[in-house]
Amino acid sequence: MLQLPMAPRATDIALNELELVYAFIYARVGNRADAEDLTQQVAMKAIPRLREGAPASAIRGYLFATARSVLGGFWSTRLGLSEAELHENLAMAVPPAPPSEERADTVQRILGQLSDNYRRVLELRFLHGYSLKEVAAEMNSTVGAVKVMQLRALRAAAKVKEETT
Amino acid sequence: MNKPEIRVDKIVSDLLRGRRLRLRGGDAEEKAAITAAARLVAARQGSQRMNPAFRKRLESSLEAAPQEPWLTRRGAFGAGFGRWAGVVTGGLIGRAMEPDSQLTPGPPGRLGGELINPKPGRWTDVAALADLVEGQGKRVTAGGVGAYLFRRGDSVNAVSSICSHLPCELSWSSGAGMLNCSCHPVSFTPEGESTNDKYPLPALNAVQVRVTAAGRVEVLGTA
Repeated sequence: MLQLPMAPRATDIALNELELVYAFIYARVGNRADAEDLTQQVAMKAIPRLREGAPASAIRGYLFATARSVLGGFWSTRLGLSEAELHENLAMAVPPAPPSEERADTVQRILGQLSDNYRRVLELRFLHGYSLKEVAAEMNSTVGAVKVMQLRALRAAAKVKEETT
Repeated sequence: MNKPEIRVDKIVSDLLRGRRLRLRGGDAEEKAAITAAARLVAARQGSQRMNPAFRKRLESSLEAAPQEPWLTRRGAFGAGFGRWAGVVTGGLIGRAMEPDSQLTPGPPGRLGGELINPKPGRWTDVAALADLVEGQGKRVTAGGVGAYLFRRGDSVNAVSSICSHLPCELSWSSGAGMLNCSCHPVSFTPEGESTNDKYPLPALNAVQVRVTAAGRVEVLGTA
């Protein structure tokens, strides 16, 4: 008698899809440990509820919807927001666009809309990995002034991101 | 209390060293800067794949996961499990939901639509009654509560600005006279009820609103 494979097809597909989910989450939290925890949460929530034989497109949509939900919970928990306050912050955590990786050209486009100083401080700090001291030396400034500029530049980058998505 | 630039730089430095996001309540003020920093750090590293050891752990835990029977979100609500499911899975918005293609029709009627009751709450002046146009939704915020206001004569009703299906911001479509979800093709009436006949989603949560004697509209939000 023909034996059917033990592993459900939908789960197999979902495992491969979780690679995409991981990249999606990593692009938003910026570190491996949190990305792994959140991907695990997505898997645990979504996998048992997936029907056998579901098409890959349905599985992907389901996983990314779950990933958005998990990310929303992550930010609200880490920032100590209440349930009601969480609602206010969902726009930040839930991208309206379809899931996609944070592309380098998107980052360049955002940086390109910042003033020269803001763009420079973020490029040196984030893209080239300079320390504050190195950034200060490069920009003929002080560490304290660079810290302030970095914060203002990040606020400005977030604003550009909101306006362009 | 650290100055914000010092606090944000600490978070940035941790991220650049590959550490977790260690945040605290006061960081909410700089949430936009922090999320921008996380995205920039990730962009620097490019698209990431799972570490092989993590993938193996994930596979093992998936194999050990119980194969739960289907439980629709509506079923959970009907059984009074909505909030309980949220607690179990780690947060209200963390409730597991089935994909749209898997939704099954059920009995019609208004579902969900709980009253948002912030604690501690505070009445916030959000608009003048005279500024609200009948038949048009107006998006307002009261602390952490986002809502759409709808005027009916001298009274106003308010519903949450968050979809009851997925935690996505709704947008007001003046042409259609509906609140549309930005994540899925679903919409709600100004009363907060789902317009989908085949699968009526839970109604939007209701937001507490009042009109003062001076003609000001106030919403109960977070303190």
